[in-house]
Amino acid sequence: MRILLNEVKKIFTWKTMLLLLFINSLVYFLLIEFYIEYFPNGSGIYSYNIGLEKYGVTMDDDEFIDFKKVYDEIVDEATRYMQSREEFVAAGLDTYELFQAYDWGNPSQEASALRDDVFFGKKTELFWDLQERERLIEFYNFRKSIPEVLTDNQRDRLNELIAEEKFGVYTEIVIRNFKSYITNVGIAILFSVVLVISPTILRDRSRGLLQLQYTSKKGRNLFKTKLLAGYTATFIIITGLLTVYLGLYSLNNTSMFFKVRINTFIANESWYDPTFFQFIMLCVAAIYLIGFIFVTLSMSFSNVVPNMVSLIGIQIPFVVGFLIFGLNRLLPNMILIWIPKWLTPFSYGGMVIVCIIFIYYLIKREKKIDILT
Amino acid sequence: MLVVKDVSKRYGDFTALQQINLEFNTGLYGLLAPNGAGKTTLIKMLATLIAPSEGEIYYNGKNIIDMDEQYRELLGFLPQQFGYYKNYSPKQYMLYLAALKGIGKKEALKKIDDLLEKVALGDVVNKKMKKFSGGMIQRVGIAQALLNDPKILILDEPTAGLDPKERARFRHLLTELARDRLVIISTHIVSDIESIANEIIMIKNKQLLYKDSVEDICSTLRGNVFETTIDFDLLEAFRKKYVLLSEKQEYGKMIVRFIHKGVPEAGWKPVAPQLEDVFLYEYRDEIEGEV
Repeated sequence: MRILLNEVKKIFTWKTMLLLLFINSLVYFLLIEFYIEYFPNGSGIYSYNIGLEKYGVTMDDDEFIDFKKVYDEIVDEATRYMQSREEFVAAGLDTYELFQAYDWGNPSQEASALRDDVFFGKKTELFWDLQERERLIEFYNFRKSIPEVLTDNQRDRLNELIAEEKFGVYTEIVIRNFKSYITNVGIAILFSVVLVISPTILRDRSRGLLQLQYTSKKGRNLFKTKLLAGYTATFIIITGLLTVYLGLYSLNNTSMFFKVRINTFIANESWYDPTFFQFIMLCVAAIYLIGFIFVTLSMSFSNVVPNMVSLIGIQIPFVVGFLIFGLNRLLPNMILIWIPKWLTPFSYGGMVIVCIIFIYYLIKREKKIDILT
Repeated sequence: MLVVKDVSKRYGDFTALQQINLEFNTGLYGLLAPNGAGKTTLIKMLATLIAPSEGEIYYNGKNIIDMDEQYRELLGFLPQQFGYYKNYSPKQYMLYLAALKGIGKKEALKKIDDLLEKVALGDVVNKKMKKFSGGMIQRVGIAQALLNDPKILILDEPTAGLDPKERARFRHLLTELARDRLVIISTHIVSDIESIANEIIMIKNKQLLYKDSVEDICSTLRGNVFETTIDFDLLEAFRKKYVLLSEKQEYGKMIVRFIHKGVPEAGWKPVAPQLEDVFLYEYRDEIEGEV
């Protein structure tokens, strides 16, 4: 335990702490801050929890009728508002229906000014709200339609969801925001663990410490302890960063969606149907897994390459390749039906197996290798 | 006690050591050979850092590789060059190594103070090692090798970077230590071990040349080492003819020490051979001249 603690302490130096702070500040201000600062964003600011508080985590037909009734009442309110203003009446836009049916592709100057007034003036909330409700009604009306270009599995899954009456009835703003947020958090954490843990094994080797370490009683078993220290430090870093980032995410105040099943969000049809909270936990687990996989890779390279420059160089294609091709598929969209169902378990399973093989090979190699420096 | 049996070491096509057979008991052994002769290879095999390509090394009849930590807990080792953490103090560094050696923290703290005192670093125990000179680092290395009170102490070029005063102190320390344990010192500096080693081991052409006491090794050149005075102008010719061991200028003439195995000439003064004479003679291929 004392040896493990020593090895962990060697990882957490002031330099690595500063490096962690630098990486996370950079990624936070470049990629993450936006999803906290501007949520809900755009028209979503008026609509992101439409219906949820009233109908709960699902919406059945009766509730939809009620939803439409509320919509009609808001339409009436909009009509009353328009009729109360002479400019609208003069422009022939004295009902909301007329306002909707107007040829906005070729508007008159007055109509254009009135539109700007309702969307960006005093009655902003009302008209944006109506638009969002119309979008939700439209999605509800198309809830049982299945696109043409689908694989058999995807079609089967959509039919299954329709049969179980799991439709995308709630706005996707929340899930989309979380997915973007967690993807960027994933990037920050991936860079953090790779850069902090990478030199763990190389540092002792390049400084010529192995001769003293491997001739001690602990001997070459220290390599296993170093690996364990790497994983312990990874766990500490990921846990610490996730605590901070999920703490920041709580500022988005989306807890009312925690019990909503993720198939209930628009355009978020998935192979499985966890709640939003369970999905967050799934993403957390995936981040731990990705962190451990990449740390294994880093430590493996760390044991083979001659110096820090080549250590970073050799990892760039792996990290960049994963960010381009893997991260979205294996983190935010890991259970989405637009990603083959087998891809996530096979990818993670494959990477875990490769890691186990790497570790087995490295430990075996370290037992026998000649320590020349 | 420690037996090296038919040990060879190859790195690809290159053979570093061939068919080495040695036996070590309690006492001080000096491994003496020029740089590149394979001293460090042998030392590293004794320290289990590299494995023999052929042959085995036994401690009390057991293969040292198979003994694993049982062997290493008897071992104290100082490599030719060793790494350290620049921001650690000697105390922190030795505490770190003590944990690896399986020494409890309390016990280690006491030992560390004693050992650092012994190597004259008592006043810098908490100073960062990045500010240390080469000699001070080397002394930390010596101290760490003694942390676990080893039964087998292996030191590879331990006097590198030490000044004459430190060397003398180190020799005293070694003499004391070698009373009840096996101490093996690898060096190419004859004076480091000449006066303290129970036996000298010399390696030549990848094979064992001598393993004997200083006296017995020196006796191999008895009657063949001479000193004479020659004119400076004749020095070059003399160098070509004999294996010169030393040259000294005095009153415009040269006093030379050399080896000759035939009949001595008039004016040559026979002298008692020293270990350095044997060293220079045996490794003359790498030096110059003929007998």
